[in-house]
Amino acid sequence: MEQSRKKFLKHFLIGAVSAPVILEACKKTDTTSSASGSGSSSGSGSGSSSGSGTCSVSPTETAGPFPTITPSSLVRSDIRDDRTGVALTVKITVRNTNNNCAALAGAIVDIWHCDKDGYYSEYGGTSMQSVNYTAVHFLRGRQTTDSNGLVTFTSIFPGWYSGRATHIHVHIYNASGNSLLVTQIAFPEGSSNAVTVVNGSGGVAYGYTKGMTGYTYNASDNIFSDDTTGTELATVSGSLSGGYTLTHTINVAA
Amino acid sequence: MSKKIIRLCYRKVIDASSQKVWDQYIFDSTYTEFLMQSQFYNQEKKFTTFAEILHNVPAAERLHFLVSAAITGYLQQLNGIVPDILNNLGKHFLFFKNYRFEVINSDIKNKASHQVAINFFSEPLLWQDTINGFLLVSPVGAAQTEDGVRTDLVQLQPFLSIYSLKTAEG
Repeated sequence: MEQSRKKFLKHFLIGAVSAPVILEACKKTDTTSSASGSGSSSGSGSGSSSGSGTCSVSPTETAGPFPTITPSSLVRSDIRDDRTGVALTVKITVRNTNNNCAALAGAIVDIWHCDKDGYYSEYGGTSMQSVNYTAVHFLRGRQTTDSNGLVTFTSIFPGWYSGRATHIHVHIYNASGNSLLVTQIAFPEGSSNAVTVVNGSGGVAYGYTKGMTGYTYNASDNIFSDDTTGTELATVSGSLSGGYTLTHTINVAA
Repeated sequence: MSKKIIRLCYRKVIDASSQKVWDQYIFDSTYTEFLMQSQFYNQEKKFTTFAEILHNVPAAERLHFLVSAAITGYLQQLNGIVPDILNNLGKHFLFFKNYRFEVINSDIKNKASHQVAINFFSEPLLWQDTINGFLLVSPVGAAQTEDGVRTDLVQLQPFLSIYSLKTAEG
């Protein structure tokens, strides 16, 4: 707005040299708005609205609201928002290969994954987001590792989509926000394992309706197929009714 | 004559020259978030500007959405009131629930070139008349009083536009 006003003013300066009173009013607008914090400067000029209609009125309201520094809405442990499904607790431990694989405290861990139907949160077809619809960044979260290198997220068991095995994306940063590693977590397979159970008949009641027909297994997945030693493979335990817990350790060079 | 229902869009551009505290918080927090999130699309650090990243990695289009997480809390602090736009009495009068955030420009090596925009879409308004460069509007569903419906005069100005238009029924 400042900028637009300045441009506007500049324009105006060229066009109307003979209107000092109006110019003064516009200047007043500029200085008062830069002096105020919140965009509601008070006590600025009564009557700075000119009769010409080329210059806007100044704010004449009680000051406020007063902004406060707020972290990114990604910073949270419970990343479910409005998404439903089988409960999943995600426990990721980060270790530092530059320090004998000791736990890395203070690392920032971003995770994101798809919902039970295989969809990620992103800008949809509509060009508007709603400020009330706070679920806009569902199933995305950010935590900082504790002294044991651990972060914990409360989420739901990811569904799957064509071409990919079930997975969770992870981006690990150092405390300054510099990227250390971008990776993905794979899930164990087999008839008794969570992926099969959740996507089987028992999972239907929780909304997992795709079954396993057309599922891409880790061996065919273009991300996980080269992970022959299973370093990207998590441990998953639990049950449909009690929820599952995923534990995984990721080594970074910090 | 049939009445028209409009939604106004105010495109608030925020950059290094922005003076207000709220704007500066937006500037700082979105730059920090951009630095973090853009690394996913620029893992070899080959590019420095948002334009370069976008040109070479089309999926970086998601950065508009991803970086918008940084402003959610600040938007909530506005209590649903569109900033900056005043009626001709000098009061904020426009309400919003919807917005869209954009990264316009940025540079991982130069914070001064970071520039973002928040598009505020107003709640629907009845466009009653146009008077000498001012729109005469009233909130849709505003109560009728003895004197009729309460109205606001808002000046046509840069970065304020009519976003959508439909004809009111009845």
